[in-house]
Amino acid sequence: MSELRKRTFVVTRFDPDVDHAPKTQSYEVPCRPDWKVLDALNFIKDEIDGTLSHRWSCRMAVCGSCGMNVDGEPKLTCKTSLSDYGDTVEIAPLANFPIIRDLVIEMDGFLEKLESVKPWILTAKQKAAEEGTYRQSPEQLAAFKQFSMCINCMLCYAACPVVAQEPHFLGPAAIALGHRYNMDSRDEGAAERNRVFRGEGTVFNCSYANECSEVCPKNVDPAAAVNQAKLNAVIDWAASFVVQRDR
Amino acid sequence: MARSPDPQAMAPSRPGSTRTAPPALPADFWSRPRMRTYLLFDATGIVYLLVGLVALRVAWALAAGPDAWQALMRSFANPLYVLFHSIALVAAIFVGIRFFRLFPKAQPARIGPAKPPPRPLLHAMLYAAWGAVTLALLVVLGGVWP
Repeated sequence: MSELRKRTFVVTRFDPDVDHAPKTQSYEVPCRPDWKVLDALNFIKDEIDGTLSHRWSCRMAVCGSCGMNVDGEPKLTCKTSLSDYGDTVEIAPLANFPIIRDLVIEMDGFLEKLESVKPWILTAKQKAAEEGTYRQSPEQLAAFKQFSMCINCMLCYAACPVVAQEPHFLGPAAIALGHRYNMDSRDEGAAERNRVFRGEGTVFNCSYANECSEVCPKNVDPAAAVNQAKLNAVIDWAASFVVQRDR
Repeated sequence: MARSPDPQAMAPSRPGSTRTAPPALPADFWSRPRMRTYLLFDATGIVYLLVGLVALRVAWALAAGPDAWQALMRSFANPLYVLFHSIALVAAIFVGIRFFRLFPKAQPARIGPAKPPPRPLLHAMLYAAWGAVTLALLVVLGGVWP
């Protein structure tokens, strides 16, 4: 049996039926050395305070639901080892998002931004089944594969200083996803998405702080996608003066 | 220098039925090392603004004749000017290093048939170009050539 270490977790609490504003509550937890932050939260929920609300699911950095601010830094709690932290660990909901309850954030705004970039393959005409499957070479796949690894954990939104100040900004994950489809050789909707990229939530709001890429747990590098999207949006805008578009 | 996010940050276009607390930022958000570096990078804009004003003064002195030019050159020996130009040099190097670190990944995967070179090579090319331009300016401004 490995030795347990007592740690204090300072957790943000907010009950919309009772509280005017979020507050913090401390919990003493005997932690195993191999625990992740999520293990400690589940211990609190199961053994100390069943009223604590937090999101989690897969426990293996795939579902993207357990993102929280750990000691002020956006982290996937299932991937964040407690051994990297001291005796006191602060856990708060992801920054920049409205808080529904305790550590649970409102993600409808994020989903609206994702939807606005039309994250699906757009084609002028659907290929008939008898024409066979869409073919793609490894090189064509490599052009966007990195940006398709996003798990929508929203850590990039919690880290981005522009998201904090520009409510309309599309944000890193949505732009990376739109750029992913723009780079897809099967897609024909780049002009449509570039109009969104130049619209109200414009990609040009990004000041390249690079924080999104620093905190991304899947190495998607959204800052690269956003800044590539800026260049493509400008080229597309210039091309729109000389090339007639159907869509 | 803690600052609250916009209350509407990441809010849905139509509020849900549940009352939510406004978004928050960690109190030390702006003083974290990476954010501090970024703010410092942004703040170099002020230095460039001042350098631009000095450049205007140089242009005015050029137009005003030899006496004005000599007076300007003498004023540049003032320790405050030396300090300012030293800060401007450090700011330029800092921005250059940050720009060269971030620039390669902002390149598109390909433009037509052309692919950008590998990132380490692109880094090396940027620094080489920077060095070459600096050297050329020193040679010309130092009066070595032509």
